[in-house]
Amino acid sequence: MNEDIEAAEAARALEEIGRRREQVVRRKVFPAWYWWAHAGLMVVLAAAVEHGGGVALGVGIGVFVAGGLTLDVPVSRRARAAAPYRGLGGPEASRRTLIGLVGFIAVVLGVAVAVGLSLRAAGAPYPATSAAVAAGLVFAIAGPMLVRLEANMLLRRGRR
Amino acid sequence: MTTPRFDELIHAPTRLSLVAFLAATTWADFTVLRDSVGLSDSALSKQLTTLADAGYVEIRKAFVGKRPRTSARLTADGRTAFDRHVSALQEIVARAGGSVIPTESQA
Repeated sequence: MNEDIEAAEAARALEEIGRRREQVVRRKVFPAWYWWAHAGLMVVLAAAVEHGGGVALGVGIGVFVAGGLTLDVPVSRRARAAAPYRGLGGPEASRRTLIGLVGFIAVVLGVAVAVGLSLRAAGAPYPATSAAVAAGLVFAIAGPMLVRLEANMLLRRGRR
Repeated sequence: MTTPRFDELIHAPTRLSLVAFLAATTWADFTVLRDSVGLSDSALSKQLTTLADAGYVEIRKAFVGKRPRTSARLTADGRTAFDRHVSALQEIVARAGGSVIPTESQA
């Protein structure tokens, strides 16, 4: 142990360590447009499926797949450029992240199914496309919230 | 339980920032490290070499397409040394009665 180090200096060093951890956890990986672009692709796919087969369906699926890859490749590259260490949030972090992700997907799908079935029962036009719009809105609004929640949880757990 | 051990090599301000950042990541790209810690290319290279020579950091050089890409990560020894250094710092603060413990961004 170095006896020359004063408590204030040690505290400053600990503060710096905390700041760097927060910098990694809060590093912006998903741009704001990412969520809205994916939501748009969901609507395109639903509209293609609903409006008929053949060329429209093929184009819709093509746009969905190609668009999804175009959006995901740079984001995934950016995420890998400084991916948070697995043990950062404690031993339960992976399980909590998985639960959060499954819950998020369940909510988005739940909204899509509920809106779609309700609109179809009411005889509304284009129920699947409208359901995709509703699910896309939930996706684009809740996605960034999930990322923020995950970051807060990692930082809170990391302090324990 | 981590045995506290103050590490002079890690405690130097620039290296502390660098090692703290690396400790929170699996691998970190050179450019991300440079921009996050606010160092020049040459200063970062020098610090990484010092840490690599001590066995604390592993440096990986690869090509993505035609672009060279350098990444770094803490080795197991580096991670252990960092954990022990953090414990030593916490012990110093605790001995002072915790009155100097930062409140907000404390790790």
